[in-house]
Order: sequence, then structure tokens, then C-alpha cells
Amino acid sequence: MIGTTPKPFEEITDALKGYDKIAVIGCDGCAKVCMTGGSDQVAEMAEKLKKNGKSVLFAMSPERTCYVGKTKTSLDPQLDKLKEADALLVLGCGGAVQITRQVLENYGLTIPVKVGLDSVGHMDTLIMGELAIEQCQECGECILNETGGICPVTKCAKSLLNGPCGGAENGKCEVDSKRDCAWILIYNRMAALGELDKLRRFMEPKDYSKMAKPRRLNIKERKVE
Amino acid sequence: MKLTELFDKGEFVITGEVGPVKGCLRSTAGSKLPQCAQEAELVRNVVHAVNVTDNQSAVMRLGSLAASVKLKERGFEPIYQMTCRDRNRIALQSDLLSACSLGIDNVLCLTGDYTSLGDHKTAKSVFDIDSVQLLKIAKGLNEGHDMMGNALTQSTNLALGAVVNPNFEPLDLQLLKMEKKIEAGAQFFQTQAVYDSAVFEKMVKKTEKFGVPIQYGVVIIKSPQMGKFMNENVSGITVPAWIIEEMGKVAKQDRKKKAIEITAKLIREIKPMVQGIHFMPLGWADIVPEIMKAVSSAA
Repeated sequence: MIGTTPKPFEEITDALKGYDKIAVIGCDGCAKVCMTGGSDQVAEMAEKLKKNGKSVLFAMSPERTCYVGKTKTSLDPQLDKLKEADALLVLGCGGAVQITRQVLENYGLTIPVKVGLDSVGHMDTLIMGELAIEQCQECGECILNETGGICPVTKCAKSLLNGPCGGAENGKCEVDSKRDCAWILIYNRMAALGELDKLRRFMEPKDYSKMAKPRRLNIKERKVE
Repeated sequence: MKLTELFDKGEFVITGEVGPVKGCLRSTAGSKLPQCAQEAELVRNVVHAVNVTDNQSAVMRLGSLAASVKLKERGFEPIYQMTCRDRNRIALQSDLLSACSLGIDNVLCLTGDYTSLGDHKTAKSVFDIDSVQLLKIAKGLNEGHDMMGNALTQSTNLALGAVVNPNFEPLDLQLLKMEKKIEAGAQFFQTQAVYDSAVFEKMVKKTEKFGVPIQYGVVIIKSPQMGKFMNENVSGITVPAWIIEEMGKVAKQDRKKKAIEITAKLIREIKPMVQGIHFMPLGWADIVPEIMKAVSSAA
């Protein structure tokens, strides 16, 4: 999922300064899992905005706001209210904000779309409702086959491909002593698999052109263009 | 002279680290000798070469290349340290070409301390390539081509050094990387600071077969506080309790004397296992000659 954290409320009210009639759009996909933009948080935000003197036209959470079709289906019944809106506040990832803007543009509406969350990356949920961690950079050339299913590109602060730096102590990273050194994890995993010899292979510099932004995924052809 | 030539001649190679200043080195009338040059002067007669750090600890300073060139002009043999933290593969290769063009003969290829450890914590870390890849790329430049295989009008001619941390656990993982560095092109190694000859011996027993020269890394412990600080804050280094106690026993004004004694003792123990010593004096370059004197007088 895409991890999100709430922006401070003052930052949101600052972004909404000068706009009175607001519609609040959440996301019942990732933001719901992060407890930042699901139906509950959208309702809470609507209440807070009202207390802050705003008129809230409606508040809703599409099933996945990053899908243009799902967002449009959710917003279609609200079109009349949308036409009245001074601004939209989206409690979703940066993608949800931009898809919402695109849906509005497709309606022919030019309304400011503001974001109430900060997106913090591709996250894997370890404990539902408690903890998610970043383990994948979507680098476009997965090397997990070579590294025992543990990603050094993401889990090593320096994205080292050919082994650890010299900074780990007691198995922990020099950057954050609470975090495991990715390369020690990889080493232990490969040792357990009896495949340590595979770590001797020289790993070529990464092809970062595969991460060149913005990527475009041809879903039909199943390839990046 | 290239460090590799010294090792080939069988020299016991002594090097000392200097850190470029935080400021520029444009000389003006009456300007004082910059600190990095002063530190180098203090060890001039005992070292073969001086390592010039590359924005050490991720603290922004004068560039390693500029400082290396300035030291070369003063008659020192610089070892240009290059980390992967701040430059991508284009900039690193370009700087290696620049270094060779400016008369630099030695380069030490490192990963680099992480940005958040330094004084520009919000900077974007680069780490486009790692130290093993940097060594391979540098070797390619020596052979006349860039990493994409494009021919160079003139090859570089750089001696390539690397680092290894004997304190690392598991050691075999660190040595696996050391072997990869050798295969990539590393011709000599400098170690992280070690304060236990048994730790060093454990490594040397496994690295002897690699056949590459290793310099023992020495960080002079200046006070008991420094020893404790390093244990708490510097990853990959352990200062044993006996050194902290010994330094704590003497009066402040006698600490240099004690540091000479302790460091010389460690060097005497480890010297037979290595092909050189690399000093990281951190401000106490003045006692390096006395340490070496103490080492040889006891030998």
C-alpha cells in the first residue's frame, strides 16, 4: 500500500484559507489501512472543518481514489454539490489527489484540490492497525532472487548492492541503531539457505533509467513505456 | 610515488589522515597555513603519504581533490579519498579523470558515512554506486575506458585503495566484501581503527591468502571521554576498557605521553601482521612521530 500520515491541521486550514464550501474525499484503500483517510477519518475531518467555520458539502471515501473509474463512480451522484464547492480536501496519497483533480477536470470543473496527508512510500503492513514498513522501491529490476528475498536497495540506507558498509554494530545499521543491517539479514538468510556462495557474485551498478520518473505502465502490454 | 610501488618495493608504508578545512584555500597576503597543511607538516618526516578525507562524517568542507592538489604542491603524496555519498557515476568518473589530470596518483574508494550523520542532515544521499562498483569503474578508467565501455583519450593511472573493518561481525561477511573489492581492483587496504590485536589476528589469518597489502588503522585515543564517546557513537569501533582506564588514570597534561605509550604498544603487537600503518590522529598529529619513535626504539 501507499503509506500516508496526516498533515498538521493548521497546515490544512492554511491551505483552505479563503475557501468556504468544502468537499472532503478520502480513500477506502491504502489510506483506510493507514487510518488516515478511510470513512472514519473523513467524517472526523468534516467535523473539525465545521468547527473551524467551514461548510462541508459532503464527505466520502471512494473504494480506491487512485482508480479514476472508482473515483468517478463515487463522485457522479455528487456532481451538483461539487459544482458548488470552493475547494476539495483529499485525505489520500498524492496519486488520489491528482486522480480527483483529473476527474473534476473531466467534469469541466476547475476547483482547487488540496491534500490533507503526506505520502511516505510503498509500505508493507506488519501488524494491522499498528505497523507498516518500507521494503520495496519499485526499482524496475527486482534483485530479490539474488539476495535471499531481502531488498538491499530499500532496507540498506545506502542501497549497497555488493555487501555491507563497515558501519554496522551488533547487527544494527549505523544510520539507525534500532534498525537491522540489511546485509547482515541477507547474509544470515543466505547462510540458512546454504547459498552464501551466491553473494560472491559482483552486482552491476543499478539501471536507474528504470526508475526515471514519471513511469508509464501499459497494463494491456504489461510493460513500462 | 604511488602507494602500490612502495608496497611492491617491500616498504612498510605509513600514511596519515588529514581533514580539509571548512572554508576555502585561496591564499591572501599574510594568510596562515591552513590546518590540514599544518597537520600534514607535523607528520611530513614519518609518513609516505597523506589521506585526504572526502567531506568526512558527511560534514561539508573543502573538497578532497582541491586539498589533495594543494598538499601535492607542498611536496606531499596525497591519497585522494572518494566516497559514493555525494556524487553519481558521471561525477565520480569525471572527478577521477580530474584527479589524475591534476597529478594525483592514489585514490581510496569508500562508501561514505550516511548524510544524516553530518551537518547537512536534510541533503539527498546519492549512493548511485557502491564502493565495489567504484573500484571496478576506477580500474576501467586505468584501462582506458569508462564504465559504459567508451574509450578515453588518455587512461588514468591511479593506485586503488579500499577499506575493511576487522571489527565487523560477522567478519566473514566483511571479508566477502573485501574479496569482491580485490576482484574489482583494490590494490591495498586500510583498516578501521582496531584496539585489540586478537581481533586483528583473526582477520589477518583469513586475509593472508588474498595477497594484498593491509595497513593497520590507528585512531589515537586522546581522553577517556573520547574512548567512551567512540564506543557509544561511532559504529564499528570498540575501544577496550583498559585503554579508557589508562587514559583516565593520568593527569590531563600527561595524556599525550600516555597516548604515545598505548598506541605504540598496539602498533608493536600488530605490526608483524601488516604491511603498513594508517594514522587517523584527529588533531594529535604532533605525537605521530613520537609514536613511531617509541615503536622502533622498543623493537
